[in-house]
Amino acid sequence: MTETPNRDSQPAEMQVQQPKRAPWRNLSVVWLIPVLALAVSLAVAWRTFSDRGALVEIVFQNAAGVTAGETGVRYRDVVIGMVEKVGFSDDLLKVVVSARIDKTVMPFLDESAQFWVVQPKVTAEGVSGLSTVLSGVYIEGTWDTKPGTPQTRFDGLDEQPLVDPSDKGTRVTLRAGSGEAIAGGSPVFYRGVRVGRTETPKLDETGAVVLVEVFVDSPHDRLLTSATRFWNASGFSVSLGADGLRLDVGSLAALVSGGVAFNTFFSGGKPVEEGHIYELYADETVARENAFSEVSSNTVTVATVFVGGVSGLAAGSSLFYKGVKIGEVHGISAFVSGDDDRMEVHQQVTLNIDPKLLGLSGNASLDDVLDFLTPAVDSGLRARLNKANLLSGSLIVELVEIENAKPAKLERDAEPYPLIPSVESDMQDVNATLEGVMKRVNSLKIEDLIQQAISTMASIEEFANSDQLREAPKAVVDLVDQARDLIAGENVQALPELLRETIEELRDTIAQIRQDGVVARVVSVLESADKVAANVASASGEFPALVDDVRALAEKARDLPLHELVDSATELLDSADALIDTDAARALPDSLNAALDELRDLLSELREGGAAANTNAALASARSATESLQRATANLPELTQRLDELMVRAEGLVTAYGDRSDFNAETLSMLREVRAAARSITALTRALERSPNSLLFGK
Amino acid sequence: MMSATQTAAPDRDDGGARVQTARAAGLVACTGCGRVHRPDQTRCLRCNARLSSRDATSLQRVWAWWLAGLIAYIPANLYPMLRTTTMGHETASTIVGGVVELIDYHSYGVALIVFGASVVIPIAKFIAIAYLAYSVQFRRGKKGVLARQHLYEVVEFIGRWSMIDVFVVAILSSLVQFNFVASIHPGIAAVSFASSVAFTMLSAQSFDSRMIWDANEAVET
Repeated sequence: MTETPNRDSQPAEMQVQQPKRAPWRNLSVVWLIPVLALAVSLAVAWRTFSDRGALVEIVFQNAAGVTAGETGVRYRDVVIGMVEKVGFSDDLLKVVVSARIDKTVMPFLDESAQFWVVQPKVTAEGVSGLSTVLSGVYIEGTWDTKPGTPQTRFDGLDEQPLVDPSDKGTRVTLRAGSGEAIAGGSPVFYRGVRVGRTETPKLDETGAVVLVEVFVDSPHDRLLTSATRFWNASGFSVSLGADGLRLDVGSLAALVSGGVAFNTFFSGGKPVEEGHIYELYADETVARENAFSEVSSNTVTVATVFVGGVSGLAAGSSLFYKGVKIGEVHGISAFVSGDDDRMEVHQQVTLNIDPKLLGLSGNASLDDVLDFLTPAVDSGLRARLNKANLLSGSLIVELVEIENAKPAKLERDAEPYPLIPSVESDMQDVNATLEGVMKRVNSLKIEDLIQQAISTMASIEEFANSDQLREAPKAVVDLVDQARDLIAGENVQALPELLRETIEELRDTIAQIRQDGVVARVVSVLESADKVAANVASASGEFPALVDDVRALAEKARDLPLHELVDSATELLDSADALIDTDAARALPDSLNAALDELRDLLSELREGGAAANTNAALASARSATESLQRATANLPELTQRLDELMVRAEGLVTAYGDRSDFNAETLSMLREVRAAARSITALTRALERSPNSLLFGK
Repeated sequence: MMSATQTAAPDRDDGGARVQTARAAGLVACTGCGRVHRPDQTRCLRCNARLSSRDATSLQRVWAWWLAGLIAYIPANLYPMLRTTTMGHETASTIVGGVVELIDYHSYGVALIVFGASVVIPIAKFIAIAYLAYSVQFRRGKKGVLARQHLYEVVEFIGRWSMIDVFVVAILSSLVQFNFVASIHPGIAAVSFASSVAFTMLSAQSFDSRMIWDANEAVET
């Protein structure tokens, strides 16, 4: 800047001159401020934007308490998002909640993600969601821990899912006849320990079976094998059995909300995969009984139609073929058929047949089974109702071959299932028969019978105790003594001596003959004897006379006193025999026999009564019959006691006679019979005591 | 703060046509205390402030601060000013949202005050400063020099009152801290709003009001 002296008289005029500079050089530092502010604002904006997360839509049936801008979305109780908008679906049927979800969790929001509204809830198992009373509801989400393809639209659940997708465990399916005892979230017990929970029971497509999904938590899910059996552990069960009254109560929660339990009754099962299907049994006993039965995944369904009532038949009732269980009743439904004039109600029973049990291959198709059944039906195979057992009212279905059955065909194309022809059951009259039998049993005079047996035994004892019987052996002893005296007598003693002497003489004679060396003579004698023989032969006419002489000689020999001895001995034994043969003695076993015969007759009569059924009247009769039997049998020990006493006494008596005599043997055998009779009576009594019903069934 | 006019106004005719300025008299007026000096003086003899006949960068600074204030004002309105947590329930309200809420509660007076302090005044300030700077920069508005001077004074005076909102937030968030029952936290908007107000005040202060008269002078010559 230089001063230009244009007017020297004037004071120096201030040069006010804006220097011409490039605009950027003219820039002030202060421009950094807006730049900085812009940068900061942009940074804040960018952060907000990048933190904003993604917008997802969750569709609920209703969204009670959900408010835009206030309701949070949580995962494991940590807020991960916020509801931005609550609107409706296009048809106004559903509520669409738009929520902004944190970016970090977005990759996990795949198809496994589930959302529900958390509200305060009070259940039998506790109180949940209490915090929402103050803070308002929130939306809780859950998903598995594997990132997937993120979705932006989800169907919200009405309630918290029972099984969290991130939980580890195994999900299996139970097949049950009814789902009434199981609620969603019911506990699953293993040996009384809660190891899982159930989902809400659902019907299968046919509507005949209830399917319950069960989730067993890890690591308890390794307890599940193919040998595992599930049963309903709901509430309590009362059973009356041989071991008395039995009351089983599960946990209180199970009492209220139901529950299932499982156990593995035998080892060696294979580990199961996700989704394995188990049968749900009614209780532990049934489950145990079915421990070895395979739940077949392959069953074929056929149907049959019964005319008339099928009360007592239920889903799950057994289906028998030739005495072997091949399946079970799947469902029962009634339908009306017939023409306009006469309508009839028929019961259609659908049957599940396990081809494996029928002897076919495990994966046989319906056609295979039908191919098997068709010729059988042609030759008379029919479905028939029968009693499951004699006392209970439950029914089973059996496939039986009826001879001369009315011709019928297996209707393969019948709807909804192939139809097996049926025949009417003949069990209707069983009830009446049984009642009659029971009445007869009830009217039996068993007490009288026992009384009679006791008095018989008493008279036996009396007889055995009688003086006569005691004297009889004495007479025998006397006889034997006399006989011994006789034998000991001189004549008899001398007899052998005489014999010996005679023999001696004979021996001497022979020796003499040998000494005299007359063999040659003998030869000549033999020769002459030959001649003599010839003579004799010629003179055979005289021979009989000779024989007569010999016989006379023998007669004489027989006339010896020995003869008398033997006779008297025989007489002795005869009289002993006669003693035993006396009416009194003989009557003893007879009357016993008769008594037993009577009893046996009675029993066989009872047995012939045959079949039984379950009417209350019949049972009442049976009970009173049993009671009278019991009263009667109370007397039986006395009887047995007496028989034993008698036995001992008789045995003592017999020992006194010495052994080996015929009398002894016969008496012994007689007494053995008596004892056997007594034993069989005792055995009968015991058998009756143990199982009075054997009287009914003839077993 | 300074509010006095730097120029002597001997004749206050409404057109403001003739005003003797320091520059016209060949002198330099101190912007701090108003004393006039000879041009060769670089520092005020009274207050030791730096002397310059006209601040060449004044307009630049005005525009820069103005822009910064405007930028800061955008998030101040978009983001929540207050985050109120009551019973575990958090509500965040922006300035306008708060006003709407107050109207909903029929607190029209308070709503008016808040609206005036937080919306009307800042926006009016932006407009006023922009108008002043614009008129000086492009030498428009030969008329109403005095009115513009008044406007400038008002802007400078009233600008600080915009801070009332920030005060409220500051006081509330330090007083209302009852944990779960109720607590108030400042939001991002509180910071940006405070900076916006500060920036506009700086902008107003950067404005060399003498230039208003220069325009008049220029028209004159």
